[in-house]
Amino acid sequence: MSLKSKKRISNITYHLLVLIGGFIMVYPVLWMITGSLKNNTEILNGALSLVPPNWRWENFARGWRGFGGISFATYFRNSIIITSIATFGTVISSACIAYSFARLKYPGRKFLFTMMIMTMLLPGQVLLIPTYIIYNKLGLVPSPIPLLLPHFLGQAFFIYQMMQFMAGIPRELDEAAFVDGCSRYSIFTRIIVPLLKPSVITTIIIQFYWKWDDFQGPLVYLSQPTSYTVSIALKLFADSTSRTDYGAMFAMSTISLIPVFLIFLFFNRYLTEGISTSGLKG
Amino acid sequence: MKLKRILVILLVAISVFSLAACKGKETEVADKKDNKPAETKVDDTADDKGKDSNEEAPEPVTLRMAWWGSQARHDKTIAVIEMYQEQNPHVTINYEFYDFDGYFQKLNTLVASDDCWDIMQMGGNFPAYLNKILPLNDYIADGTIDTTNTTEAFLKTTRYNGVQVGVSNGVNTYGVAYDPAMFAEAGIPEPQEGWTWDDYAEICKKFKDELDIYGSSKFDDFAAGCGSGISQFGLEYNFYALTNDDLGFDDYTFLIDYIQMRADLTAYGAYPDPGAIAEIKDIEGDFLVTGEAAMTWVASNQFIALSEAAGRELNLVPIPRRTKDGPAGSAIQSSQMFSISTDSENPVEAAKFLSFFWSDDEANKILANERGLSIFSNVVRALEPDLTPEQIKVNEFVNLIGSYETGEVNPISPEPSQEIQDYYKLIIEKVIYGEMDADQAAKDFYDFAKSKFQ
Amino acid sequence: MKKVKSTDGKRISSIKALIYNETTAGYLFALPFIIGFLGFTIVPILSSFYYSFTDYSLGNKASWIGLNNYITLMGDKRFWNSVYVTFKYVLTSVPLKLIFALFIAMIMTRKTRLTGFYRSLYYVPSLIGGSIAVTLVWKELFSRRGLINQLLGMAGIGRVSWFGNQKVALIPLILLTVWQFGSSMIIFAAGLKQIPTTYYEAAKIDGANRRKSFFKITLPCLSPVILYNLVMQTISAFMTFTQAFVITSGGPNDATNFYALYMYNNAFTYRKMGYASAMSWIMLVFISIITLLIFKSSKYWVFNESDKE
Repeated sequence: MSLKSKKRISNITYHLLVLIGGFIMVYPVLWMITGSLKNNTEILNGALSLVPPNWRWENFARGWRGFGGISFATYFRNSIIITSIATFGTVISSACIAYSFARLKYPGRKFLFTMMIMTMLLPGQVLLIPTYIIYNKLGLVPSPIPLLLPHFLGQAFFIYQMMQFMAGIPRELDEAAFVDGCSRYSIFTRIIVPLLKPSVITTIIIQFYWKWDDFQGPLVYLSQPTSYTVSIALKLFADSTSRTDYGAMFAMSTISLIPVFLIFLFFNRYLTEGISTSGLKG
Repeated sequence: MKLKRILVILLVAISVFSLAACKGKETEVADKKDNKPAETKVDDTADDKGKDSNEEAPEPVTLRMAWWGSQARHDKTIAVIEMYQEQNPHVTINYEFYDFDGYFQKLNTLVASDDCWDIMQMGGNFPAYLNKILPLNDYIADGTIDTTNTTEAFLKTTRYNGVQVGVSNGVNTYGVAYDPAMFAEAGIPEPQEGWTWDDYAEICKKFKDELDIYGSSKFDDFAAGCGSGISQFGLEYNFYALTNDDLGFDDYTFLIDYIQMRADLTAYGAYPDPGAIAEIKDIEGDFLVTGEAAMTWVASNQFIALSEAAGRELNLVPIPRRTKDGPAGSAIQSSQMFSISTDSENPVEAAKFLSFFWSDDEANKILANERGLSIFSNVVRALEPDLTPEQIKVNEFVNLIGSYETGEVNPISPEPSQEIQDYYKLIIEKVIYGEMDADQAAKDFYDFAKSKFQ
Repeated sequence: MKKVKSTDGKRISSIKALIYNETTAGYLFALPFIIGFLGFTIVPILSSFYYSFTDYSLGNKASWIGLNNYITLMGDKRFWNSVYVTFKYVLTSVPLKLIFALFIAMIMTRKTRLTGFYRSLYYVPSLIGGSIAVTLVWKELFSRRGLINQLLGMAGIGRVSWFGNQKVALIPLILLTVWQFGSSMIIFAAGLKQIPTTYYEAAKIDGANRRKSFFKITLPCLSPVILYNLVMQTISAFMTFTQAFVITSGGPNDATNFYALYMYNNAFTYRKMGYASAMSWIMLVFISIITLLIFKSSKYWVFNESDKE
């Protein structure tokens, strides 16, 4: 067998295996998407077929109608606004804080870093109510501010992530720039931020879908039905004391995947470009 | 380069969004928080027409109200709110609606920050929120809440140690729903009023033998084995004492039979095992609906939804008793109620609205007993002409249970009830998995429940 | 370093010196965190600590009961069971998830026209998060007549009652966690991208094979990211709540009653906020110790560019 055909076979096996694996991975998602074209009995009794027996597009119309006269258009608008601002805030604030913790040396830095790690160790459920009380005393409830403000004050998960990425940027770069007369501020904007691109993109993708998915925050801090987010609206379908319109719920769950998926597709390009130069092929 | 351009676009988009969001915030804050200054402004413009004819325009009032439920309930309740606002232009009701779990998560945070809704929907777990509930006794006495068309017995379903914590939005009771066609198919006679737990177990096993399905879908174990089960030993017993600060019986062996029966039926395959039960999420997944069981436990106000979900004709029979002529153990209870919170600044206006909500004919024609059978006779009469056969079936059933002779019943669950119920479920599973026998389980559970009151 | 700064300082005014001072810059950059911590985090943390010594239940006044909550916990069988279940879950799900995520991230480095598409394919499950639809799908997959049981039946193994058998009830939850490995994978992928190509080229010239360059280059260069993923996934695994809450509600027989779930139920269902706060502080101590151990061990296996001094 020639080297060329050997390579071709290896290529084909690679694609085949990855595709099969991929199908297994997305099967449950496909089931959900095709479920949006089934009715309750077809979803619950039709077991695991991916082909809807009758294509029930009306599920989308029924779901989109929303609740109490407020359609999903409103919920989507609210979610997009909140999620975009929060993601933006997370990127800006976390990058600054990470730079401070990872690159600058000053008294108190270790302490601050320990505190930040500690904030991740207490489960949100016990902090929820005391936090709510603070925002309530500040007169910020109900409003989206409690949902957004924390993102401008740094998110521990992403601060730490960016710190780890900064650890991969050679320190010689900063030092050289410093000797050349760059301030700490311009080192951050001119050297660190550009090199942090993969980490920033990761942050955008993950923070976006976390915020999109967040149910607890909007539930607690928003009140009027016109300000509900998609995550709250989806839960409204599943009141445990009454019947559930699964078709409509699946239809809206499917649509709610779109923004998250688009963000991923859009930014994923920058993660893929050039990544393969790591030369694992050889 | 490309990335830069995209970032710029993104930034612009975000700032546009945030501007929009700020605007949204402002109006929202104006609507909700600082309602006093904002409200007068709104009323000046909106009320101009009304003011000419009516010299003494009442102070504008904003009430906050919330409930949980289905899409149908949201639509109906909102329609009634709008109807009331039209008739009482000085009242604005800001409403919120959630699913059941979300509702209580939200309520818990509001409770902790003394910021509860003026009007809140409450279920059987209300004792946990007791110090947030405003007693309605005075409003009923002075007629703000009109109770002329209901009875003392109905009002008692929402009274706790003398405090009228709310007025029922509708009453219900428990029963067993079954599919007569499946009984016919298996050649088993349909259950009759007065059937016993032995009959029930027998029927379950027969279905397993004849059709290889479960005889019975998931029962509300606590309501069956404890709530009703204890009262079936004699009219003087209740699971919880009437004073709600202790258990209402002192012989733990009362608990054994039900636990034993549950374990036996599960072992026999005549009742779903814990894994199968975990697959039931709501009415749609009930094994009676899916055709894998012939009977199921049902709250009377959910019977119609259950029938609709099943798409077959179902019947309703009272729950089994201990002995044929013994006490039935079932009673009418409030399916849920509206209460006024102690955080309310306008409890009188809230009471006026609720009185309308509960007993106005037109409002209730919209609501159509969706929250349970109305306790107001005028409403029952007003709805009579439009009842469907299924609704008549439910109403007759509730009236039947209401006619039973009962002792002093306690239809209410005191504060630690949720923890006790969870423990009961756990202990039954321990018997099913053979970690204890029914006697040990009953004793353990009794001690646990008792300890919650010490 | 110090020398450079002092010669700088002579030239510029003292205000400028203050602004450009490393300490000032450090605090300025950390300012958002400091504001957030002092304004919105420290008080809730301290109040939860205080509650853990009280009988606080929502809506009622809290009264001091000393160590009672902690003492009661020590005798609470359901508590110890939840500790056991959680450890079992963490020890299995975290390594599985990380290995899987790294494996897929590596596979995706192969340069083909379809890589972007493949990566999306594998990432989609993570995007849908913990929505109700997903949990429903998962329940359906593992139900008595679900796909998994159908496949097992075909393979001649026979059906398994996934949610009814205490011994296996944890498996569907672990698989759900592993299935949603996307965020770890993305972080690994970004880490892989950061590794300079020249390293591999040099290794190739030196005659290193694929496996050798994986162990000698990829793993060391990726080690900060591995550390990060390990710490984060461990923490979040200890706090896992949603899966058990919506899929099994902790059953059967408490076999999936995770620590965080039991704590949540105590806080919100049984309304024993004080008791739940005590639980959360025990958890904090537990996770702190484990995180600390991971950090300490990282000295031996994490290769850090910026620590070279």
